[in-house]
Amino acid sequence: MQNSHILREFDHAISALRSEVLTMAAKARHNLERAISALLERNVELANAVIADDDDVDDCERKIDQLGMDILVRYHPVATDLRLVICSMKISMNLERIADHATSIAKRAKKISASQDLPDAALIEPLYTLADHLLRDAISSYSDRNATLGASLHGRDKELDRMHNAATATFGSRIEQSTGRSQDYLHLILVTRSLERVGDLATNIGEDAVFLDVARDLRHASNRDLSEGN
Amino acid sequence: MISSPATPGPAAIVVKDMDFNYGKSTALKNIQIEIQRNEITAFIGPSGCGKSTLLRCFNRMNDFIPGAKVTRGGIWIDGIEIHSPQVDGVELRRRIGMVFQKSNPFPRSIYENVAYGPRILGEKRRSSLDGIVEKSLRGAALWDEVKDRLHESAYGLSGGQQQRLCIARTTAVEPAIILMDEPCSALDPIATARVEELILELKKNYTIVMVTHNMQQASRVSDRTAFFYLGELVEYDFTSKIFTNPAKQQTEDYISGRFG
Repeated sequence: MQNSHILREFDHAISALRSEVLTMAAKARHNLERAISALLERNVELANAVIADDDDVDDCERKIDQLGMDILVRYHPVATDLRLVICSMKISMNLERIADHATSIAKRAKKISASQDLPDAALIEPLYTLADHLLRDAISSYSDRNATLGASLHGRDKELDRMHNAATATFGSRIEQSTGRSQDYLHLILVTRSLERVGDLATNIGEDAVFLDVARDLRHASNRDLSEGN
Repeated sequence: MISSPATPGPAAIVVKDMDFNYGKSTALKNIQIEIQRNEITAFIGPSGCGKSTLLRCFNRMNDFIPGAKVTRGGIWIDGIEIHSPQVDGVELRRRIGMVFQKSNPFPRSIYENVAYGPRILGEKRRSSLDGIVEKSLRGAALWDEVKDRLHESAYGLSGGQQQRLCIARTTAVEPAIILMDEPCSALDPIATARVEELILELKKNYTIVMVTHNMQQASRVSDRTAFFYLGELVEYDFTSKIFTNPAKQQTEDYISGRFG
């Protein structure tokens, strides 16, 4: 925990920024959860709510950018404070894209719900569970400044990639079998694709959290061992 | 241990195991630092941390304060310990110029301010002095502003111009090192920017050590930054490292305004 800043206004601004990022993260995660529920439960009303609520997430992104820019202009933050502002702005961009994927899943849920029940949709659930865990841990790595947790996401995301490939292959073979539901299976393939992307975006957030905590840049690094110098 | 960045060549100033006292009170404790050639090194820290004292040790300005002396270790410039008997303080101060917080031109003309040092060192030829004056004023980015009034009083210049005149006066005797003690603290932002631009230019030919209370100035201008606290050197590293990811919590607290 950092000591208090001599200027209390600065501490307030930093804490407002941080709490706005956490609010946005909760909204994005909630949208994703509801989009998947809408898909699995064939709930069109819920899907519509997710699509409508995306505007809230976009508002959060704009607010975070504004708060971040104000802090840079007013207080010229350095060291951890500077890294916090930069990371918060980058993380909000990733969260906005995660919420966009939730919207995209909700739209596909509506289309799939328009035709008859598709039991194979349940195959999506384990992918969602892992993607959600990655997202949850990415957010925790930011809020708790936990570089170890943030750095762990890259490896765990590989499992999501494998699940994505397997699910895509299954849905692809259903299309080849000419079940008459090709359109719906194509939607499911794109839903798994969205969940795979959520894993990538969570990994990005984890990398930003590593930079925030220990000032190490893990992006594109061949060696992601935190104990080694960059 | 103090983290010290890699050193490319022989340092301009080497301080080893140095303690410095004002009478019985210790102002600097166990200082170790190597100032690199043709770089700008910023000294930062709260008032009373010893940064100006160390700066003034480099050209033995503290010799003029009764009871002030180095009690342990020493300072080596070009391989010679500056307190050793063969080092003459006056000659040392010619090789190590100093610019102060408040501009302090002599009560003479602009020309005479710059020509003063070379004249004392024995330069009598007018043409040669003219050349030195022009070169120094150009070097201090002041020539175009004053070339038509070289023989008017230096006091007619603005604060920022006076400070640049003092820098021209310092460079006129071709020192190797220039020490600056808060050179911009009495200047407005535009004059400050001009002096900072000048300092960056001077780096090509001089080694510069600057004490500043302005953290943004240290991060804008310097290559390396040393943070002092209570007479000790807490951290010395590349400026970009100090201001993005300092190694010591004390440094982080100070630069980010969390002290005390």
